[in-house]
Amino acid sequence: MMVDLMIKLVLAGIVLFAVLNLAGFHTWVERKQSALIQDRIGANRAPILGFRALGMFHGMADVLKMFTKEDIVPKGADRTLHMLAPFLSVFFALVTFAAIPFGDRLVIGDRVIELQVAKIDAALLYIFAMLSLGVYGVILAGFASRNNYAILGGLRATAQMISYEIALGIAIIGVIMVYGTMDLSEIVRSQGQLIGGWLPRWGIVVQPVAFVIFVTAALAETKRLPFDLPEGESEIIGYFVEYSGMKFGMFFLTDFLETIVVASLVTTLFFGGWQVPYLTPDGFHFPWGWEIPVANWLYVLFGVASFSIKGLIFCFLFMQLRWTVPRFRYDQLMSLGWKGLFPVAVLNVIVTAIVLVFFGEAS
Amino acid sequence: MAVKVVRRPELTFWEKLYLPQIFCGMKITSRHFFKNLFLHIAHLFGRLQHIPAAATIQYPEELRPLMSRYRSRHRLTRRDDGSPRCVGCMLCETVCPARCITIVPDEHPDPDVEKFPVRFDIDLGMCVYCGYCVEVCPEDAIRMDTGILDLAAYSREAMQLDIHELLDPELRKPVAACDLEFPHQCSVHGGEMKGGWEGTAVTPSS
Amino acid sequence: MPDVIIDGQEVSVPRGTTVIQAAEQLGIFIPRYCYHPGLSTAGNCRICLVEVEKNPKLQVACNLPVTDGMVVHTRGEAAEDGRRAVLEFLLANHPLDCPVCDQSGECDLQNFYMKFGLYDPRFHEHKVKKKKAVQLGPHVMLDQERCILCSRCVRFTEEITETGELGIFNRGDRAELAIYPGGVLDNPYSTNVVDICPVGALTERESRFKVRVWYLSSAPTVCNGCSRGCNMDMHFVLDRPHLNDGRRVVRVKPRHNPDVNQWWLCDAGRYGLGWIDEGRLGEVRERGATSTWDAALAAIARAMQESDRSRVGVIASAQLTCEELFLIREIFDGARVSAAVPEEPGACDDFLVESDKNPNTQGARLLGMAGPVIGDTTGGLGGSADVPDGQAIAQAARSGELDVLWVFGHDLVELFGAESAHEIAQNVGLLVFSGTNENATVELAQWVVPTAAYLEKDGTFVNCEGRVQRIGRVFAPPAGVREDWSVLLELAERSGRPRDSHEPRTIFAALAAAEAAFAGLTYESIGTLGAPVAGSAARVMSKAEPTP
Repeated sequence: MMVDLMIKLVLAGIVLFAVLNLAGFHTWVERKQSALIQDRIGANRAPILGFRALGMFHGMADVLKMFTKEDIVPKGADRTLHMLAPFLSVFFALVTFAAIPFGDRLVIGDRVIELQVAKIDAALLYIFAMLSLGVYGVILAGFASRNNYAILGGLRATAQMISYEIALGIAIIGVIMVYGTMDLSEIVRSQGQLIGGWLPRWGIVVQPVAFVIFVTAALAETKRLPFDLPEGESEIIGYFVEYSGMKFGMFFLTDFLETIVVASLVTTLFFGGWQVPYLTPDGFHFPWGWEIPVANWLYVLFGVASFSIKGLIFCFLFMQLRWTVPRFRYDQLMSLGWKGLFPVAVLNVIVTAIVLVFFGEAS
Repeated sequence: MAVKVVRRPELTFWEKLYLPQIFCGMKITSRHFFKNLFLHIAHLFGRLQHIPAAATIQYPEELRPLMSRYRSRHRLTRRDDGSPRCVGCMLCETVCPARCITIVPDEHPDPDVEKFPVRFDIDLGMCVYCGYCVEVCPEDAIRMDTGILDLAAYSREAMQLDIHELLDPELRKPVAACDLEFPHQCSVHGGEMKGGWEGTAVTPSS
Repeated sequence: MPDVIIDGQEVSVPRGTTVIQAAEQLGIFIPRYCYHPGLSTAGNCRICLVEVEKNPKLQVACNLPVTDGMVVHTRGEAAEDGRRAVLEFLLANHPLDCPVCDQSGECDLQNFYMKFGLYDPRFHEHKVKKKKAVQLGPHVMLDQERCILCSRCVRFTEEITETGELGIFNRGDRAELAIYPGGVLDNPYSTNVVDICPVGALTERESRFKVRVWYLSSAPTVCNGCSRGCNMDMHFVLDRPHLNDGRRVVRVKPRHNPDVNQWWLCDAGRYGLGWIDEGRLGEVRERGATSTWDAALAAIARAMQESDRSRVGVIASAQLTCEELFLIREIFDGARVSAAVPEEPGACDDFLVESDKNPNTQGARLLGMAGPVIGDTTGGLGGSADVPDGQAIAQAARSGELDVLWVFGHDLVELFGAESAHEIAQNVGLLVFSGTNENATVELAQWVVPTAAYLEKDGTFVNCEGRVQRIGRVFAPPAGVREDWSVLLELAERSGRPRDSHEPRTIFAALAAAEAAFAGLTYESIGTLGAPVAGSAARVMSKAEPTP
């Protein structure tokens, strides 16, 4: 029992370590990537002992700065909620990772370890619940600041998140219908099958429309460009206008964490999670006949690497998207959500259902 | 009244679909990204140096090329013997719209020169860089061609340049290294003589 | 009376009048360098060329007496051509470095060249070098290169001061202005040559190279150096204190007043103003400690009310204006008041300098605050002989007969000796000193109140000839310093004798109403040139009299 607990703690530690570092790394990637896109050099100062490391220490400098900055709570604000809001934000973003499987079962001796912090049967529901609870961080931040702009920003953000959650959820129904489970590790495992013997049965193949809707809605859900109206730090007054220092930093961190959550979810649901094409627990089985046996630990390692690489690629793509697409107007945002994504998602569910009923055996 | 009707361009179906347009945009940004990434890496290995990877000018190390008529920090020019060309005619002080120039002239020991500045201060905190002082100078004694643009200081007093710093612009860079006193006592009033320059012995007129 | 037509205007002038003077009467200004109304005519600069009809050549207006029916054109093409040629000649050897020259901005050469100049010079030869900074005397510096040899200064030393220090030596382009060997230009009127020099050749050593003329502000006032009351223009600079070592007064220029000083001013008066910016009293002091006006005036008013009038003494001063003397006389009614103190007569001459070094002794006499001058020559303008003089008041104070003694500006130590001054300070209940500068009496007085210098307040002086002249107000007094009249008015208020007047103009109106000698005079009728008091022998400016 103690060993199980230790294993879970270690797993949680690994996930937290990886995710938080990735979020920190994200700030650097974002700076450098936007710089390259815009023909600039990007942040390249903040040397430590003369080493600039391509400006990688800027993230550290930022954290130091945020910790040392004055923490201002507006006069008349609800101190408890004002304090709570950023923590809620970060917390719900972090706990989401618990249900995401980042590798297949690892067998050490007679012990089988699921590379997943929490094995939940209805993991998808859990993830949605957690993502939805993230709204509380936003609305509380706006409400507790005792600032009309902040509360308007909070309401705007809440409206946006709730609107897109619907499209997000309905898009996933298609996936659930196809794989017949809400357990993420099962979904990933069933993506290891091949269609016609050569095409991996990834979500993107069987549910392409759901993928587009999911990515769009998830971006809106995480308040990334082109849907960053609630934040838009420099242009629009958002819900965290009254936050400074590390509390602001936590909202900022949430932003990056949620990007990683979305990238992980997209990977898990539509790109086979930790699956490597043609890799089964006993080795590679290529459709043209080659077979390469692989040890269990190597197989798991391949899986984790596969998951990580896919996730990073999506992080990169979301970033690229951010620096490509201009921000939506609020009415455009709402009409896209309700008049575009929602009906299409519903249609997707109906079509999927029809296809499943008639060609259920085929898929 | 003629009204020109400008129709908003109708979007085609594919444009309305939005997704293809996003991919077009991604193509552009990705092209920039990968081209610049490649160039940066190539530069690391000393290749393709002639193709710039960024439009950035790394400011403190790298200075923007200035136009030849750019008005940067002032300097006072010198004669062949090292003394300032300024004859203390005060036309620049007169013409200065910001009144940032302070000159105290005195009689020069050489009657042919007649006057020289015992004190010549420019308060850069007040200067508007109009360049009138350069235009008006009959002796070409003041120029704004040092190319020094950075005028940071911790106090208003430190923004004031005296005759030494104007004669030798390098004295003021960096600011912290300058230990000259300011303002200078006026020699006419029996104070210590600080407006002199090496090479020429100056005696206060009496 | 020949009739002459100048530029289409007809004027009738006395025989012997020159064209330049006749034009002046019409308001037509003809350029001039050598011509000066106060000097003899030399006619050597040739800039005043005018075109006279039926005359083949241009004539010099300064030396051409008008004749009946003469028709003169001063602004024609021919006259301007002639002036252009003269200017080209004058500038042949004149350095073209106006920015350095101290005269630029008030230089006739500059001004006329702007008007008639040949802007494209044809002169390419080297200029003749001459001496640049020659000290002619204690006040005057000569730059021979800038001299255009108009000889005004030479004629001034010959005709006005009759000292003849200056001369023009050598010939042709080597001709130069210089001082006779062994001589020094140190006559009491030497700086006037700077004023009359039309170019930057003669400059004042005191103000040379200090302040450019365009920084100077100017205000008309009257000299307080002696009882002559010469009219002068005070040139001062307030907004650029670094230029004159923080001093406000830069220089003094005589102001033309045909009835007082003509065009001239003596050096003593010109350079006697250093005290205005140096050693000034800046704050009210009670026994040496800084105090406030409120406390001082309250204490003085209380002392005055508590003591018997006959035990109050005031040693006023002939440096005060008529208005202030009048206020003193009215406020200290019944007290022992005198503006006369025993002072050694100073230097004098038969031109401008008077031996009485106070500017308003005559005013004090007219107000009954000073006795008649010994050997009165002013035709009965003197005061009555029963006025107590300062000496008597001081004596009374010394013997303990006074409770309050107010001294205006005088230094008791200097007047009566240190011993007497100390005795006065000990035996008087309250010794008040009001004045402008530090002196030995300041140490002795219980209350010291700083008051404005005469340049800092408005008012009038009466000069030795009985001419009331307004001193105007050149600039404001320093912070914490008040004009005597305003101090006196407040004191009157506090001691229960308020006055109707609130400013020098109304005080003077009250004075004119009270004193027969001033009857009918107002600041307007005094004007800038002054007006004689009733019964004075002062000359009345007559327009008919031709200027010499």
